[in-house]
Amino acid sequence: MNTLLIICTAIVAGVATYIIANNFNKGAVLASASVTLVSGIIFPYFFPTMGTTLMVVAACASYGGMVSRKNAPSLIDMIMISSIIGLLFTLTATSYAGVGGRLGTIAAISCFTWIGVRNSATAATRARKSDAYSKPVGVWQ
Amino acid sequence: MTLDKSKIRILFLAIGSTSLTWMLNHHFGLGPIVASGLVGVIAALFIPGALAGIAYTSSFVGMSSLAVLPSLIIALLGGLIVGIVIIATTEVYAGIGGKGGTTAAAAALVTKAITGLIG
Repeated sequence: MNTLLIICTAIVAGVATYIIANNFNKGAVLASASVTLVSGIIFPYFFPTMGTTLMVVAACASYGGMVSRKNAPSLIDMIMISSIIGLLFTLTATSYAGVGGRLGTIAAISCFTWIGVRNSATAATRARKSDAYSKPVGVWQ
Repeated sequence: MTLDKSKIRILFLAIGSTSLTWMLNHHFGLGPIVASGLVGVIAALFIPGALAGIAYTSSFVGMSSLAVLPSLIIALLGGLIVGIVIIATTEVYAGIGGKGGTTAAAAALVTKAITGLIG
C-alpha cells in the first residue's frame, strides 16, 4: 500500500513538473523548484504520518521531471520514468541517506533506465522487421 | 582549465547557493526539501537561464545532513567543489533529469571525503 502511494506520488509530481516545464514553458528549474516547494509544504500538513516520505518522493520525481523533451518526448515516457523513480526510491531508502544529491541520482538512474529500455525495444522491433523482410518467401522454397 | 570571468561567477553562485540552502535547512530549520525548493524558485525568478540551473544544482549540496556538512565553512567548501564539478561537466548528459542531483551527490561525497581527511 505504501509502495503504491509512493509510486502514485512520484507520477503526479513528475508529470506536474514535466507539464509546467514543457507545456507551460516555465523552464525546468522553476517547474522542479515550485513542485518541490509546494510538496514540502503540503505533504507534511495533509499526511502527518507519511508526509515526510511523500514530500521527499515528490522532490525526487520533480528532479526526474526536468528531463528534456528530446529524451522524454511524451507523457507516457514521463509516467514510466516517475514509476521507476518511485520503485527505486523504495528500494534505496537507506542508501546514502543525508548526502545531498541522492534524490537527483535516483532520478538520473531512472531516466537512463527508461531511455535504455525504450531504445532496446525500438531496436528489437526494427531488427524483427528487417529479419522478416530478409526471410526468403515464395513458391520456390 | 583557465579561470575566466564566467567561471568565477559560477563558482561564487555555487558557493552562495549551497551556503544559503544549508542555512535555511539547518540554521532556520526549514528542512532540506523546502530550503532547496525556495532557493530554486528564487533562482529561477531572479537569475537568468543557465545560471538558475547552476544555483539549483548547488542547492542540492546544501540539502546534505550535518553528518556530511557539519558547519557553514564545510558548506562553503561543498559549494566550491560543486562549482568546480559543474564547470568540468557542463556538456555531459545535458537534458537528463537528475543530472544536477548526480553532480551534487558527487560533490557532497568529495566534500565528505576531504573533511574526513582533514579530521
